Amino acid sequence: MAESVAEPFYLPTGDEVELFLAAYEQRIPVLLKGPTGCGKTRFVEHMAWRIAREREQPVDEPLVTVTCHDDMTSADLVGRYLLSADGTSWLDGPLTRAARTGALCYLDEIVEARKDTTVILHALTDHRRMLPIERLGTTVPAHPDFLLVVSYNPGYQATAKDLKPSTRQRFLAIGFGYPSPELEARIVAHESGVDASTAESLAFLADKLRNLDEADIIEGPSTRLLVHVGALIRKGVPAPRACDVALVQAVSDDADVQGAVRSVTTAVFG
Amino acid sequence: MRAGFEPGQRALTLYFRALAGCGCELVPYDDDADLWQHPDTATTVRLPAGVDYYADPEEWYRVAVTHRALHHALGTFGLDLAAPEPLFARRRPDLPPADVPPLERFTRLFGRTALAVEVFAVLEDLRVDAAAPRLFAGLAPAYARVRHAALADRPELAVLPPRAAVAEALVRFSLGARQVLAPAALHGPLSTVVAAAARLLDPAATVESSAEAAIRVYAVLAGLPNVGAIRTARPVAFDSLAADPELDPDDPRLVAAAEEVRLEGDGALDVRLVPVRYRDVPGPRYAGQAASGMPLQEAILRMTVETEQSQDADTDGFAERSLQAERGGVDVTATERPPEPLPHDHGPDLDDHHEHAHGHLHAGGRDEFVYPEWDHRAGHYLADWCLVRVGSPKPVRSDRRHRRALHRHGHLLPGLVSQLERVRPAGRVLVPRQPYGDDLDLDACVDAIVDLRTGVPPSPHVYAALREERRDVAVALAIDLSSSTAERLPPDPGRPTRVERILDLQRDAVSLLVEALERVGDGYGVYGFSGGGRDDVRLSVVKDLDERRTPAMLHRLEGLTPDHTTRMGPAIRHLTARLAVSEAATKVLLVVSDGRPYDLDYGQQYGDAAVLDYAVADTARALAEARDRGVRPYLVTVDPAGGDYLSEMCDPREYHVIADARDLPAALGQLYVVARSEGMSRATTVGSARRRAGQG
Repeated sequence: MAESVAEPFYLPTGDEVELFLAAYEQRIPVLLKGPTGCGKTRFVEHMAWRIAREREQPVDEPLVTVTCHDDMTSADLVGRYLLSADGTSWLDGPLTRAARTGALCYLDEIVEARKDTTVILHALTDHRRMLPIERLGTTVPAHPDFLLVVSYNPGYQATAKDLKPSTRQRFLAIGFGYPSPELEARIVAHESGVDASTAESLAFLADKLRNLDEADIIEGPSTRLLVHVGALIRKGVPAPRACDVALVQAVSDDADVQGAVRSVTTAVFG
Repeated sequence: MRAGFEPGQRALTLYFRALAGCGCELVPYDDDADLWQHPDTATTVRLPAGVDYYADPEEWYRVAVTHRALHHALGTFGLDLAAPEPLFARRRPDLPPADVPPLERFTRLFGRTALAVEVFAVLEDLRVDAAAPRLFAGLAPAYARVRHAALADRPELAVLPPRAAVAEALVRFSLGARQVLAPAALHGPLSTVVAAAARLLDPAATVESSAEAAIRVYAVLAGLPNVGAIRTARPVAFDSLAADPELDPDDPRLVAAAEEVRLEGDGALDVRLVPVRYRDVPGPRYAGQAASGMPLQEAILRMTVETEQSQDADTDGFAERSLQAERGGVDVTATERPPEPLPHDHGPDLDDHHEHAHGHLHAGGRDEFVYPEWDHRAGHYLADWCLVRVGSPKPVRSDRRHRRALHRHGHLLPGLVSQLERVRPAGRVLVPRQPYGDDLDLDACVDAIVDLRTGVPPSPHVYAALREERRDVAVALAIDLSSSTAERLPPDPGRPTRVERILDLQRDAVSLLVEALERVGDGYGVYGFSGGGRDDVRLSVVKDLDERRTPAMLHRLEGLTPDHTTRMGPAIRHLTARLAVSEAATKVLLVVSDGRPYDLDYGQQYGDAAVLDYAVADTARALAEARDRGVRPYLVTVDPAGGDYLSEMCDPREYHVIADARDLPAALGQLYVVARSEGMSRATTVGSARRRAGQG
């Protein structure tokens, strides 16, 4: 039950919580844009938890998450017939399940899905709030509590892959960036359990390395990576080694880029 | 082998970018070079080619680059004369807004600009070096070692005149020295200088703090004679010198310095500090990059605002002198230096040393191919005349440039894809009765259930699978890799800091086009071509026609380097042969170049005047051969004069001249749409004609 789930830790970086709640009140679908590992998924988990807490009717699964990919078909979202010895039986897909139960349905990396797949979202994301299921010949009206949330990373997806305007313009869009070093240090300290000083150093390190991101040399490093480094340090792995395996190797395979990133981590941690 | 920084140059450059937040090019200078000749610029960090004087050169370079980077990160070149700072009583004048950069305005206000620049630079070095170990604790031991080693290079104070001695003491203080040899007479000035400098050790110090400190230090130094030497000096510890660095605006030292009169030739008596090797010497950046002309005689210490009259005053001829004269050659106030060419591989000096091949050539391996050449003077082909060597560019394991290209130009993709899809719609088709697939095929399932219930083994083909509908198009994209593609383009007025080469723009164009091709399903290959004589025509395969797109392909695209000349004919012939064996109905050869075809032995046998005609004729013949083999050629050039020779090579519908190379990424996709449409109509026409012929 929702009440038994601990609150997912999330520190707001701006007015995203208020915006999301306002959108939810009006049942306006939400699009989250931001670089990888900046906290989009955690934000959705946090909001799903908050919304579930307020619901009169508890729901077993307040958040249904689907990671989209190029081979995903509409059947993967809506549902499909299964074959058995007695014939066929219908199995709801995650989108149908969320629409029926009133969960938040979170389509992560939406632009990875093909456009002909995402078109099925249209009737669900306008005033109709319904999901036509062609194979069943029926239409599922969305539960009043249902909301669709999608995300993508504009850094490398927005231009190469894009939503159809007819899909995109159904969503309220909230942009995410990496947190400020102060906020990021608090997040890293909380999530990884390292002391405040180490967390500050990690946030400072990330702030410097993101100068390489701005020059399109690497992506990130993400807050998630910093949490990984912090977790290793908390487990006793020396900071330089933790940085090497969880950060340097993760951001690039290019020897020179690795050398530069390693030099910065060495400058910070020795 | 000497330990230089060049093996790790790229990593060090990226390290600089991470710390500084801006890019730079690391440029070496020789051991015997005058360091004053090698100031850093906004885009260049100059480092010694080798470091023999320090045990761990790698550590030394890292500290040197950290120091340079922190000047950017900590705002040395972002002085704001109006900004508050917490450590000093304000002595900076309130100057009205002007177009002159603040650093230049600041240094112009001093009587002796060179001295002011030196003082300000040392104080900024001190502030940066104090901040570095705080910010980068892991580098602190190395930093301390390099600073300590730098102290060993300092000149003896005892041989210096008072002004130079106090200035030198300041440098030593900035390097972490604890004491200096100084006569009692200098203790007073030294106390004030050190007290002002010591405030910059405070973490709250800013570049404006350094400016305030420079005012105070300058006042002291300007009041000291710069002739004669110290006769009796004793060690004095810096921490034993106690003084208040604050000087009253009416302090007689300030007045004296402010009213200082410069005499012809007394620049020779100015302080010339011995540079600290790991630091940059004050260069154009310290004068706001655009400073020139004579320092104002108006004294900053009296806080008078500069006037038009004082700026223009040149009655005594001093305005002809610049800091260059004072430096003995270096004009630290010079305007922006001419850009240096980016490093690229010109290979051996072919123009002088290429040995022309003789007679027929033979392929020596499976990656070598021999093609004829059309000799239009003789009116016949030269058989086995050109040897094409096929290879792969050395991959650079990064796809960041590709992503950046998509970031810049990706907004064009949806439109481009739409146009390509419009020519022949494609998508995915649902193929029924498959052994595996995306969904059950209900008809097949019903049949299977019927079979099961009637005791017949059912068919496992009960799925429907989505399959890509591939277009029947193949395009070979050939990119000119001649050395000229390494040339920097003139700065874009809209983006003056962006450095672009034609090769970069070609790569961007390819990145955009391959994304579109992937999405519409056209088969494609990407090749780079260059020439080093007829026996060495080079074809770099980024992606072959029948190869899948992989990350390695993007790494090879990244690895393309400029290389010699443009022998277009054999490259066209080879790619025509490659396309000819493709089963695609529509075959397109898209050639992107930046100049006319040229090679070292491409018609020179008929004299220099015949070279262009010879190369154009051979290329035109190669294009005709392509057409005959069902390949649609299309030439794109960023050479504004390209129309002059392309019109002789091909039909007006087969080429396009792009006047501004920066338009190439946006234009190439559109030109491919044109070329493919033409190719498709041609394929249809040829196919119909063949069918009619067959029926006939």
